[in-house]
Amino acid sequence: MALLEVQDLNTRFKTDDGVVQAVSGVSFDLERGKTLGVVGESGSGKSVTFLTVMGLLDPRHAEMTGSVRFDNQEILGLNTSQLRPIRGERIGMIFQDPMTSLNPVKKIGWQLEEAVLIHNDVPRSEARRRAIEVLEEVEIPKADTRIDDYAHQFSGGMRQRVMIAMALINQPELLIADEPTTALDVTTQAQILRLMEKLQNEHGMAIVMITHDLGVVAELADDVIVMYGGRIVESAQVDDLFAKPEMPYTWGLLGSLPRVDVDVERLEQIPGQPPSLLRPPKGCAFNPRCAYTFDRCREELPELRPAEGKSDHEFRCHLEEADRARIWTEKQAAMAASAESAA
Amino acid sequence: MSELLAVENLEKYFPVTRGLIFQKEIAQVKAVDGVNFTLNAGETLGVVGESGCGKSTMARCIARLLEPTGGKIVFNGQDITHLGRKEMRPIRRDMMMVFQDPYASLNARKRVGSIIAEPLEVHNIGSDADRKRRVQELLEIVGLSPEHYNRFPHEFSGGQRQRIGIARALSINPKLIICDEPVSALDVSVQAQILNLLKDLQRDFDLTYIFIAHDLNVVRHVSDRVMVMYLGKPVETGSRAELYASPKHPYSGALLSAVPIADPKLGRARKQIVLEGDVPSPINPPAACRFHPRCPRFVDGKCNVDEPLLTRVPGATDHDFACHFPLERWPMGDDELRHEGAFAQEATPAGSFD
Amino acid sequence: MSQFLIRRTFWAFFLFLAASIITYVLFFVIPSDPAALAAGKASTPEIVAHIRMELHLNLPIYQQYWLFVWNLVRHGSFGYSFVNGVPVRTYLAQEIPVTASVVFGGVVLYLAIAIPTGVISALRPRSIMDRTGMVFVLFGISAPSVWVGVMLYYLVGFRLGWTPINGYCGILPTHAAGTCGGLWPWADHLILPWITLAIGSAALYTRLIRANVMETMSEDYVRTARAKGASSSRVLIQHVLRNSMLQVVTILGMDLGLLLGGVLFIEFVFGLPGLGQQLLQANGRFDLPVIVGITMFACLSVIVFNFLVDVLYAWLDPRIRLA
Repeated sequence: MALLEVQDLNTRFKTDDGVVQAVSGVSFDLERGKTLGVVGESGSGKSVTFLTVMGLLDPRHAEMTGSVRFDNQEILGLNTSQLRPIRGERIGMIFQDPMTSLNPVKKIGWQLEEAVLIHNDVPRSEARRRAIEVLEEVEIPKADTRIDDYAHQFSGGMRQRVMIAMALINQPELLIADEPTTALDVTTQAQILRLMEKLQNEHGMAIVMITHDLGVVAELADDVIVMYGGRIVESAQVDDLFAKPEMPYTWGLLGSLPRVDVDVERLEQIPGQPPSLLRPPKGCAFNPRCAYTFDRCREELPELRPAEGKSDHEFRCHLEEADRARIWTEKQAAMAASAESAA
Repeated sequence: MSELLAVENLEKYFPVTRGLIFQKEIAQVKAVDGVNFTLNAGETLGVVGESGCGKSTMARCIARLLEPTGGKIVFNGQDITHLGRKEMRPIRRDMMMVFQDPYASLNARKRVGSIIAEPLEVHNIGSDADRKRRVQELLEIVGLSPEHYNRFPHEFSGGQRQRIGIARALSINPKLIICDEPVSALDVSVQAQILNLLKDLQRDFDLTYIFIAHDLNVVRHVSDRVMVMYLGKPVETGSRAELYASPKHPYSGALLSAVPIADPKLGRARKQIVLEGDVPSPINPPAACRFHPRCPRFVDGKCNVDEPLLTRVPGATDHDFACHFPLERWPMGDDELRHEGAFAQEATPAGSFD
Repeated sequence: MSQFLIRRTFWAFFLFLAASIITYVLFFVIPSDPAALAAGKASTPEIVAHIRMELHLNLPIYQQYWLFVWNLVRHGSFGYSFVNGVPVRTYLAQEIPVTASVVFGGVVLYLAIAIPTGVISALRPRSIMDRTGMVFVLFGISAPSVWVGVMLYYLVGFRLGWTPINGYCGILPTHAAGTCGGLWPWADHLILPWITLAIGSAALYTRLIRANVMETMSEDYVRTARAKGASSSRVLIQHVLRNSMLQVVTILGMDLGLLLGGVLFIEFVFGLPGLGQQLLQANGRFDLPVIVGITMFACLSVIVFNFLVDVLYAWLDPRIRLA
């Protein structure tokens, strides 16, 4: 039984302009100790999915259906006090902007201690001891004095380390990281990713890495799900996804990335922009931008189905295997040719 | 190819003041501290670096949105370093900027047509009818529809707004366009559109670009030459091919190896140079070589005493670096490392980058 | 931080001086003859001239001003009334407690209304509670305090006779003839003025608090606190209220400073002998020392409260304190 099992998750927002279907029919499993990469752009639903899992959406505005089972316990729809033994204790979450995600008027030591005291009936001195310990674990120098500093006295990378410390202080089994390095410099990003890997090895926790950066996913993830328009459009083990992606959006994503190690003359571009979730396209959400679209795509939403010979690689597209294999081979050849001519 | 822009020892210092009634200068933020480069017409110079390196300040100095505190900027044969606003005006017809934030750089209260036509109005080019025609032409060139003339910016997506910004920059046929992180705020699938558009425009309109970014992937794709900056100084400059194939400065190496690669096998196989610590503040830069506190090849007594100057790589036509102990090969070998703990993985080195 | 305080103190002092100078200059720009007024209708030019000299009105402005400053610094005196020679200090001592009672009581009342209403409205936007609250806010903001005061005076004080409608009682009990004192009489006389003051301000503050709390609740760090498993009450008290009150504190401080200068309309409607009433009278008689005295006090109160607010804000927000 997996650590996190999500089945047919749907999240709808009621707004003044209408209903926004932010997440549709999302299902996936996450095993203990593994890393799941969740890739998508704006409007893909990647963040909303995990805000739903954590119960951080306001039920007055968001309608959530489906099933979220954590360690075989159904947690979707639970209220704050019911979720307390889980949030911050068995599941930790860190967010994109560490400056705004930390309370600016409280010392970070206080915030770390709060994380301990919410879940453990220990004296404050014990909470403080744990806070210093975890700050040292995330490699913050002079942790015993810096614990009394405020968020604005830390640099961006340090702040993110504090956030990680706060999420890990109660030794959770799962860490959800929502774009944790997007706001950071590239060398700082490398430090943070390396830190997360180290902590995962030491604590054996599972990680969900939400990002738009396929490079980060390639580096850290064991399994990947690609989201578009609120749905999963492809899911696979990381090596399989990059070796043979099975649908046009993934092809487009991979082809449109400039690479530091490969020169191409012209990047493949996906025309248009990510879909509006207020008035999503009929049929396949990607069809207005897809170069291989045909009538069926505009009428019927494709189901997730397994790739040929790989039961754990699923994708959502109407194209047949033969066509897809051919197109991907052509693309690879084109990329190789483009790389040669640019060199 | 003619030289369009020459920047010599560019400096921009900001004073830090303290005092009760009378402000006294106690220190300086040396945001840009000695930048040298030349740019030929039709080329793209990529400027790369992390926060605090001074690349945006440098761009603003070149565009004369700021006045340099030292050095010289020669644009199109003319020294523009200390020109006043009136004198800069005709020169600004040849130099335009595209900014990072597509949401903030367009006036939300003006219609798109008016935004794009503004440079034409400022420089008194053409009649109203001419300008309208030109704007519609530009809208098509950047991939928007001429009917969008009367819309407001908030009706467009990020990528489309960036196109509007580019159309505005193109409107008066400049020679040089300075792009300050033009794709950083855009979705990945849209980035490629804008990058391709910029390249096409360069070819069609004979433009010269200064392209500032923190993303080395993007810089590699668009640049002919690249300059890596750290704490206000260039640490390495060179042609794209040479710099990416064999970086000489350890910081360039760290930057390159820090970029995640969208290929799990390659990514796992390569060795990463992971730097310790954070980028220091430009108020109090480290002595001599500014990179020495974080450098994996630091040698005590030399790197913190003598400041390295930009020197030419022997045998290269266009590749300079400022380091006493440049990388001998790329990827960096174990034996070249002098600091403990600077490597992330001890994986066996796979093939090099190029 | 100490640098910050020293600089603020300098500014406070400087502003105080500037305000006094401006008041003096303004007074002399208005054509008037306080000496003639003080002398009365039945007086001869010689008497008027004599009075003028007594009151130093024949001296140039800057000399009169200098005398004023000297008096203030050396004797702590604001001078003497042109009209009856009473030391201005005496008037101030009598009237400040009255105005202060009105203001502080009113402030306590409106905060007691605004904070719960604002917070609950923010927590339950668009609920019945919120909508009724907002209607009340609309009324409070639109109804002029003079009208509210007069209405209360007439309906509650006069018609229903529930409260006295005139005069002021000291807070301390007194048995002297012609005066009243004691906690209950004090409050009894002030309850209507308090309500009048509170209705307008409570509305403004409710709206402000509601907006601030709603904005704070959508901040990222509140989401982090929830993600840590914090209960709703903990989130509210520890994270939301503390941060959203910062702005309220600032505005409250400024309001207090302004109000202490004299809640003119309220004092007038309810016949309270406070600074506002006194200022009105003194203006009519061109009683410069009294006018200057009250104006100075009003300036002082604004400056002091602004200063206190700055200090308090710096203490509450570490980003400013440690910058």
